[in-house]
Amino acid sequence: MWQTIIIQPMTNLLLWIYDILGHGPHMFGLAIILFTILIKLLTWPLNASQVKGAQAMQELQNDKEWQDIQKKYAKDKEKLAQEQMRIYKDRGINPFASCLPTLVQFPIIIGLYQSITRALSATPFDMLQLARTVYPFQNVENIIPLNSTFLWMDLGRPESIQILGFGLPTLAVIVALTTWVQSKLTMPASSNPNDQSAQMTKMMGVYMPLMLGWFALNFASGISVYFIISNLLGVAQYAATGRANWSNLFGGGKPSPAKKK
Amino acid sequence: MKTKRLLLISLLMLGAIILSACSGRPLSNNWPGLAADAERAYMSSGSFIYSVNVENGREAWQYPSEADNKLLFYATPVLTQDGQLLIGSAGTNHPFISLNPETGKENWAENFSGAKGAWMASPLVFNEKIYAPNTDGFLYILDMEGKQAAAPIKLGGALWSTPSTDGTLLYVTSLDHNLHVIDPVQGVIKETIDLGGAAPGSPAIGADGVYVGSFASTVEFIQSNGNHEVITTAGNWIWGTPVIDGNTLYYADLDGIVYSLDIASGSQNWDGVQPDGPVVASLLVVGDQLYVATESGSFFALDREGKIAWEKIPGGKIYTSPVISGELILVAPYQAEFALVAYDVEGKQAWTFTPEK
Repeated sequence: MWQTIIIQPMTNLLLWIYDILGHGPHMFGLAIILFTILIKLLTWPLNASQVKGAQAMQELQNDKEWQDIQKKYAKDKEKLAQEQMRIYKDRGINPFASCLPTLVQFPIIIGLYQSITRALSATPFDMLQLARTVYPFQNVENIIPLNSTFLWMDLGRPESIQILGFGLPTLAVIVALTTWVQSKLTMPASSNPNDQSAQMTKMMGVYMPLMLGWFALNFASGISVYFIISNLLGVAQYAATGRANWSNLFGGGKPSPAKKK
Repeated sequence: MKTKRLLLISLLMLGAIILSACSGRPLSNNWPGLAADAERAYMSSGSFIYSVNVENGREAWQYPSEADNKLLFYATPVLTQDGQLLIGSAGTNHPFISLNPETGKENWAENFSGAKGAWMASPLVFNEKIYAPNTDGFLYILDMEGKQAAAPIKLGGALWSTPSTDGTLLYVTSLDHNLHVIDPVQGVIKETIDLGGAAPGSPAIGADGVYVGSFASTVEFIQSNGNHEVITTAGNWIWGTPVIDGNTLYYADLDGIVYSLDIASGSQNWDGVQPDGPVVASLLVVGDQLYVATESGSFFALDREGKIAWEKIPGGKIYTSPVISGELILVAPYQAEFALVAYDVEGKQAWTFTPEK
């Protein structure tokens, strides 16, 4: 099931793009970049709803009525939950809208990782699996083995640049940095000390760069290329909608005051 | 808040675990390599090389004694006439090592570690030199003490197959669709022939040229001067090394069809014999029988007319080429109940071997 729905189409798409590009050196890296752009375009509406959902949740945290019910029903969790649901319903907010795109990312990341390793076929067994994965229309005899070189990297291996005998994980640093920049730009400031959403976003802003940096450090650098391009496109998308909070990058973000609905 | 934090961390952990579980590099997995002399079988399998006593199927030694997560052995070990067992690692560390076949102890004071890539192919020992193909695209040339004897020859694509020699020249296939004819005295490439597809198997040496199967689903005949022609085709990729027996060329493909070609006339001796599954392993000819191992986990003995003499089902999947040791045929199934099984020429099982965990 996973194989048929995720791995097979992703691997074939990657191979197809690679074939179109002329399957020379650096082309598989370029294929991953184009693949990422395609995935971003496909999930654009989902990401847009995430931005919208996160903004709505953030604004809600600064809302007078919301803050009032937090205080009023602080000791009655059940009633508080009922009131919160009522407000969500009244204002047309889906509290899970901001989580969905993140959840969608996971199968894509895992599928892409498996597709990259399968396409690059490091062992005869991998190559045999690849033979079973490709669709009949692919000109696979011509394009395999794939050229895994991209710039200074071997896309099938974790990346590092040797400097004075030490392996500097450049890509892992860039992945962590771009993830941090993206989360900072999309993190609205809040004046409410009990603002759970802001705390959650802040937490994501710490954990995600570390986690993705760790992925980049340990896994095929092809996945790091995906992370970096995906982050940059995410920033571009936010910027295009005029929601990017550039002041957050330099610690100058001003919290918005609580407002009465 | 606590629930959300827990959910977030759990999601990230889950992602990390799934990615870790499906990690393809360091090299994920491959089938075993198998070689044998009259007394012992030598099997590379994941983290270890096992030596198995052919008489009783018991383990003689394993290398290394404890698993080292940076070493992986996928290539077929090679026995040399001066009593060495050669193999390179395909793990994150990739030393090329020499073992004493009797004890499993390392022979060289220092292993060769000059290659950048993993060792998927076995070396060829020719004229007191070791020709070791690496996935970094170089053919390394070492002396019998593991020291670099000459500058490595850059061939291009990853090298997965053992070089062959006609006694004068070397023939090496590379995954970038080429067969290279090399003059070992000069250390230069004489000819490079495009095969039209990757060739993971070694060339078979014939009377006046070599025969190579490839993913172009063809068998090409190549002469030392570079003249070449497609002499026959198959329905799917040809993975293993073709086998020459007199005037007959045996080969098989991923459709599971076994072919027998009369080299002189260029005609097929029989109509597609199709045992029971894709064939990746090279075929083996012993006496009057042709042995075929299939991905479906079956092992067949065919007579010269392509009729099945007997069939055994070791189980798992068989990708490793069978080998002969004395009177026994050894088969190494992958992901099976046991790692090695020995049959006599009548198909009677002599023993099985399963490494201790």
